[in-house]
Amino acid sequence: MEKPKGKPFLEILAASIHEDFRFPILEVFAFLYAISTFVLVQIGGGYTLSIAGSEESLAYSLVSIQMGTPLFIFLILIFKNVAYGFGSDLEKGTIQTLLAYPIKRHMILTAKMLSAIGISLAMFLGIQFFALYLIAPQTVANHMPIVITAYLASLSYPLLITAIMLLIAMKVRKGGTALVLGIVLYFAISMASGILTILYIFTGNATPLKILAIIQPSTALQFHYTQIGTLISQGQIETWTPSFSEALTYIAGGYCLVAAAYLISYYYFSRRLNI
Amino acid sequence: MSSLIVVENLHKSYGKVKAVNGLSLQVREGSIMGLIGPNGAGKTTTIKAVLGLLKPDSGKVAVLGEDPWDNPKIRENIGVIYEKAYFPAHHRVLDYLKRVCRIYGVPEARALEVLRLVDLDAYDREIRGLSAGMLQKFEIAHALIHNPRLIIADEPASNLDPEARTKLLDLILRLHREANTTFLISSHILPELSRVCDSMAIISEGRVLASGPINELFERYSAKAVRISTDKPEAFAQELKKLPYVERISTDSRGVSIVTTEGMEPNIYEDAPKIARKIAAVIMGIELGTASLEQLYYKVVREKAGR
Repeated sequence: MEKPKGKPFLEILAASIHEDFRFPILEVFAFLYAISTFVLVQIGGGYTLSIAGSEESLAYSLVSIQMGTPLFIFLILIFKNVAYGFGSDLEKGTIQTLLAYPIKRHMILTAKMLSAIGISLAMFLGIQFFALYLIAPQTVANHMPIVITAYLASLSYPLLITAIMLLIAMKVRKGGTALVLGIVLYFAISMASGILTILYIFTGNATPLKILAIIQPSTALQFHYTQIGTLISQGQIETWTPSFSEALTYIAGGYCLVAAAYLISYYYFSRRLNI
Repeated sequence: MSSLIVVENLHKSYGKVKAVNGLSLQVREGSIMGLIGPNGAGKTTTIKAVLGLLKPDSGKVAVLGEDPWDNPKIRENIGVIYEKAYFPAHHRVLDYLKRVCRIYGVPEARALEVLRLVDLDAYDREIRGLSAGMLQKFEIAHALIHNPRLIIADEPASNLDPEARTKLLDLILRLHREANTTFLISSHILPELSRVCDSMAIISEGRVLASGPINELFERYSAKAVRISTDKPEAFAQELKKLPYVERISTDSRGVSIVTTEGMEPNIYEDAPKIARKIAAVIMGIELGTASLEQLYYKVVREKAGR
């Protein structure tokens, strides 16, 4: 008689969600998302309407203002889940238990990442889109591609840092260390971004900024819509105003980096990692 | 009878440290094999390679005919008991085992069955709240849930109290008898292994020094011990240590067991009365018998080391 089929992937996913979002983590983070999103909409909405030139830049500005703090909360949640969830599984040895089940290693990692990142992302985007439809339903409906592009551009950087943190967690096998290194990396790149923007403003040389835009594609979109160079240098220096398609190329480049980082993580976990 | 586990010329290093150095091993279906050796001998590395948790530098590992690294499907037939296991900490005991039932596709009622089998009644307690002994019982229940053909255990009784340890050994023997379950057990506690194992592999410095059915090993290494029953076992042992042909001595409250160089056992019959006179001890009896597993182990290690 053939053995009945088990559902190791779904069960490991469910177990991971149970651990990552045990009460009251999910509730607290959903509350924080909602509060920060709606407060930012209240504060930023009017301002956005007053400065935005075209309907398109209004849609972009609305998204980028509304996303600020919630994106940081999203980052905290996925960092916690990856470092303390997956990192601690490696550190303490829970992964040994999971590897005793009849499931491929990459499926275990997928279940873990779906729980760590997928649920957080669904919660973040769900509340964001709900708020957008409340504040400016017409603008959002008319410019959905821009709204989606803005989210894609902003999310690639946190996803990249998370992939790097995942690799660090696998290498050092210490959840706390992986978390600290991930946060340091995040702030280091954020600081570099600020410095490069200032350098660009003073020197007019956009090359470092273009390189940065691959890691942080939201930079390209930001320069496309707000034209910082033009505003500040008043035409005295060469300005970098990427076209929308150019910004899309940076976003694609950014996601190639994200994909590469996750592929390396998957390869390392599936083929190289000795437990 | 086929071999469920075949390890051939296994090599694994961690940096410059060679954990396993050309180890070969076979576990036949229906056997209970003990893996013994000192700390750092390579037992855990071997078990991890067998479970597909680490990739060997070279050599072959086959479990149920497949490479365990590439074929997780074989784990449907394997139960694992680690020395120190960690489970998702915030699950309740029964809930987690029900989840494991769903992982393997067995009826959820099996969860309660295995918990009763190991005498663990903290069904509603979170896993993180279990004591070390309870956690080990939970782990044993976890390993049995899908009625595996092969159970691989690394120090399965290290955290159990004597009563629970005896029950575990009984359970192993019962599963072996009723379901023909094959076991590979690594343990430091040699008396417990000698109770259940029918074959043995003695490991030192990453290689197998000797392996085979226990009876054969005792014969091959002429592992005999002389037992002297006396009222002063400790003093007797001190004097016996001075004899050049005495290799190993163990004492208990009622006497001394001695392993001698091969063929020198009769000398004890001459020397023991002299010692008794010297220390004013009474000898209640001297008899030649089979050495303990521990004595066999030390004999093999000494012989292989050329001492």
